[in-house]
Amino acid sequence: MEILSRLNSPVMYIICGSIVLFVAIVCIVFAVRAYRAGKAIGMDVAKMKRTIIASATFAVLPSVGILLGVIALSGSLGTPWPWLRLSVIGALHYETQVAEAAAEQTGLTSLSASQMTPEAFSTIALVMSTCIMWGMVLAFFHCKTYTKKLSKPAERDAGQETKEDSAAGQETAEAGPEKPTKKKKLDLSGFGDKAMTAMFIGLVSAYIGSYIGSLISGEGIFTFKGSAIPLAVAIVGAAAMALFQYLRNRFKAEWLDSFSIAGSMLCAMTAAIFLARIL
Amino acid sequence: MSEEMKKQEIYERYIASTHHIGRILTIITLVLLLGAPFVIGAYLGAMPNMAAFGKAMLAIGIIYLISGIVEYLIYVPMLGAGGSYLAFITGNLINMKIPCAMNAKDIVGAKSGTPENEIISTLSIATSSLVTIIVLALGVMLMIPLQPVLQSPALQPAFENVVPALFGAMACKYYKGNFKVAVITLFVMTLLFTLVPSLTGSTSFMIIPSGAIAIGLALLQHLKEKEAKA
Repeated sequence: MEILSRLNSPVMYIICGSIVLFVAIVCIVFAVRAYRAGKAIGMDVAKMKRTIIASATFAVLPSVGILLGVIALSGSLGTPWPWLRLSVIGALHYETQVAEAAAEQTGLTSLSASQMTPEAFSTIALVMSTCIMWGMVLAFFHCKTYTKKLSKPAERDAGQETKEDSAAGQETAEAGPEKPTKKKKLDLSGFGDKAMTAMFIGLVSAYIGSYIGSLISGEGIFTFKGSAIPLAVAIVGAAAMALFQYLRNRFKAEWLDSFSIAGSMLCAMTAAIFLARIL
Repeated sequence: MSEEMKKQEIYERYIASTHHIGRILTIITLVLLLGAPFVIGAYLGAMPNMAAFGKAMLAIGIIYLISGIVEYLIYVPMLGAGGSYLAFITGNLINMKIPCAMNAKDIVGAKSGTPENEIISTLSIATSSLVTIIVLALGVMLMIPLQPVLQSPALQPAFENVVPALFGAMACKYYKGNFKVAVITLFVMTLLFTLVPSLTGSTSFMIIPSGAIAIGLALLQHLKEKEAKA
């Protein structure tokens, strides 16, 4: 585990910590500017203070959930890198998926500290940084134009549409007011959200399919001698998530949403310790 | 000049400078984030393997490019200029920034597209990001003494199964309400991995056909639903 001690070294904390510090300063700059501008345009100061307090209290529980995500990733990637990724830009489910895909391409069979090499780590880190930068890239090139378009009355209506109608709204915002078309078109309004969900179903199915396939044919086609641990862990993760969702709905505890992914992962990871001894 | 016009001018100046500062800070953050793996690589004595990087980007980068574009188009109208720059820099959009900004907007009764919404959304995202940074920094400091425990061999099966743990949880979340699409896609992928076991070494590439199947099925279902409604 020599690699883990290097990934947890003070140098790593300094590299990652300095970026986190920079982003904290960015947040302060934006907050101060917004507060001053709000005051200058005559906004109620009490409203702005209420926003700050409400947002701070709102963010505490999800932040603890995100911290659990750092713990979950720290065993394979060390603590400083997941700390940076989850403090800035990332989200737990994105980071884990991308890290796993990158690990595979670097020749590791799984995202695990026991197989990690310095080259694999720096490659994984670069893939994680690149894959999830598109929001920033688009904001850099296009945010000014886009917000300008949205502020025009016709387009602003499109911007106020609900998320379900957003796909149609985007078209309107990009292309201007809708024009009547002569040809009959496929009605794709509201499909944007469904397509996103389907894309994630595809992603999850590829991995779960690989766990089932490995169990059945991992040691020879239809021999059923492959490892059952990944599949069993995934089942425990799913069961834990189902429990979180049940409790959330049963007791109307919306705050549980902040913990559902990280909490389910930690349940499944704990189960993995015992499953590794049994299976 | 009337008071209203003065305020409008101040707001327009604020928005223009927000774009200016937002762009500068976004590009600095991008350089820092993309540069960090190389700095770490220099420290570890091994730079990123660009061939593996290219393959990984081809396998999974496309998915995040598409979802990045969709998220950008959906969230910018909700967040306004300042909120958008900040939210894309600080991340955790779906699980925190968006609900937090919406909550703040509801509390003060701000309407989308108004100067009030622009200010409230920026304040909300900046505050929630700072809280996350503080909570994570405190948590990470507390974790330092626990490093020997976290690295103990007894706990290694847990860390080696982070990904199955995540996909199990996500399966429950995404499969619910999309049962047909999920079952068919999972069945096809299981069949492929069972009949061609060597594919497990390139699972990330299999995300592309798997995603295509799921999107195709979802599209068919969507068109059927629309037809039934018409």
